[in-house]
Amino acid sequence: MEKKTMYMGATIAVIGIMVLAAVMAGWVGNTGSNNNSDNGTGSTIILRTTGATFPQYQVQKWIDTYQKSNPNVKIEYEGGGSGHGQDAFMQGLSEIGRTDPPVSESTWSKFEDTGDMPLQFPEVVGAVVISYNIPGVGDIKLSQDALVGIFIGDIEYWDGAKITGQNPGINLPHEKIIVVHRSDSSGTTAIFTTYLSVINSTWDKQVGAGKTVQWPTDDMGRGLGGKGNPGVVSTLKQTDYSICYTELSFAIEESLPTAYLENADGNYTEPTDSSIQAAVAGVSSNIPPPDKGYSENLKQLLNAQGNDSYPIVAFTHMLVWKNIDGKHYTHDDVTAIKDFMKWVLTDGQKPENLAPGYVGLPEDVANIGLSAINQIQG
Amino acid sequence: MSKFDIRKIKEKLFLVTVAALAILAVFPLFHIVFTVFYEGISTIMATGPTFITGTLGEGGIGPAIVGTLMLTLLSSIIGIPIALAVGIYAYEYPNSRIGKITTTLLQIMLEFPTILVGLFVMQLIVIPMGSYSVIAGALALAIIMMPYVAVYTAESMSQIPFTFREAAFGLGVNRAKSVFMIIAPIAKRGILTGLLISTAKVAGETAPLLFTAGGLYQSYPHSFTQPVGSISLLIYTLVQSPSIADHQMAWGAALVLMVIFLAVFIPIRMSLKEVKL
Repeated sequence: MEKKTMYMGATIAVIGIMVLAAVMAGWVGNTGSNNNSDNGTGSTIILRTTGATFPQYQVQKWIDTYQKSNPNVKIEYEGGGSGHGQDAFMQGLSEIGRTDPPVSESTWSKFEDTGDMPLQFPEVVGAVVISYNIPGVGDIKLSQDALVGIFIGDIEYWDGAKITGQNPGINLPHEKIIVVHRSDSSGTTAIFTTYLSVINSTWDKQVGAGKTVQWPTDDMGRGLGGKGNPGVVSTLKQTDYSICYTELSFAIEESLPTAYLENADGNYTEPTDSSIQAAVAGVSSNIPPPDKGYSENLKQLLNAQGNDSYPIVAFTHMLVWKNIDGKHYTHDDVTAIKDFMKWVLTDGQKPENLAPGYVGLPEDVANIGLSAINQIQG
Repeated sequence: MSKFDIRKIKEKLFLVTVAALAILAVFPLFHIVFTVFYEGISTIMATGPTFITGTLGEGGIGPAIVGTLMLTLLSSIIGIPIALAVGIYAYEYPNSRIGKITTTLLQIMLEFPTILVGLFVMQLIVIPMGSYSVIAGALALAIIMMPYVAVYTAESMSQIPFTFREAAFGLGVNRAKSVFMIIAPIAKRGILTGLLISTAKVAGETAPLLFTAGGLYQSYPHSFTQPVGSISLLIYTLVQSPSIADHQMAWGAALVLMVIFLAVFIPIRMSLKEVKL
């Protein structure tokens, strides 16, 4: 009996130490952060940006760089996807929302029902690339027909006529094509399937566009799903003779080969800074003012005209409140938000502050964002 | 003789097979421990103590560690007392209507998708409060924790032979005292194991925190009503990034999480001696 109580005592003691450690860690942490903020000019302002993961690498880089010169402002990156970003922004859980597709008209009116005015503007340009894993083969070109044929399942083998026709010098193997796609709901999928719907009416009718779609190749036993871009990339790497769509930033970091794609003018372009910039040039006139963000057309950047344009390019957007009557932000918040966003749209667009795989906005598009910032009140 | 030999060989073969399968079953665990340690240690060594104390901007995961401790602590405070009471009730009145319903509900809750718990708490607390918070995260974790604690409590108490109660009643001890003073202490190994497993489980949970805790990595948490980060949530965010540096940081964070888990689990588990019946 005495032994038992001893063990009981020991257990309680260990749990007690744990609790104490937790409390102390919290306390030490607090004083630590307070000291840090006291060293600055004022109290720390914590901002939160939530949503699209398409620009994750870029947003994290901006936050990192911006915080170095502005130690009083702490910006929390939160993912969750565009849908969650719009939702969290509407509920006031996050100061800055992020969304890949422009906000829909119905969601926009829900935003306005809060009594405040949302402002939406592009923050950076990204591209969706086609990557593949064919041992010993690189630099392949895919026509629009070949691309749709592969993803709709009509082209079963890598040496199908529609593929080999554009790649005369390349010895493509007689192997079945495995299509790797996202298994989760994704803005990347939405951009890619919208593109396929734009270039091909059969795809539009049979499959359509959306954050998730029913992949025809899954029913043929030649489809594989991966969770998130990392899941897709690792599946691609493990599966010989597979093909996938992913963000350019992932292709660069993972050194994946990217296919040359046929653009609207019939030229084959690789996803590079200049081919992406070419696609974006000249669209600024079609971007609505920030307070009418819902009317922006996602399709205008897809399959863009121009000799050198890369065809699958998209803006990713920021959402911020106009803050009518101080409904969402305090005065200090507004100062910090304006300063951070102004930095993102000016210095943040300079090459040294861009992460690999992202392209800066053309100046007139960045100006749309800057006009939004000037509208924020408080 | 030869017949005997075959039987002996059969026995050996059986033993070898069982041993091989047993090793196969435990192998993934050691593989995980080894991989996490191997990949994580280089990151932590490269960054030094800043990795444990610094904020994300400084290359550390300090706020996430504090967040995990705060969330685990608060969820235990909320969850354990209720769960113990529920478990004891389910044990004491197994045939009553409420007892049966409770047992069934506990079994269902054990397998309930944790992300739905997170969404539920988001609707219940986060949206009315207008902010992610430690409280919301801890409540979601407590909901996940409670069925484990309750089921372990009820199960381990029901393994105590009824003769102990008869003896207690024979000495004139009342019902409440026989449960709390006799049965519960005898079953404490099982009960505490349940507490440990559930605490460890919630310390590593990600999904229920996605929409409740929000995340806080650039500064330390200082209030229970403000957003908070956790190590598991940070790992989840980091591995989604294309950046290799972020992946390495995630390995380091995984090692910290594993060390916390093992440091809590092993000593307590070893200090518990079985009560011989």
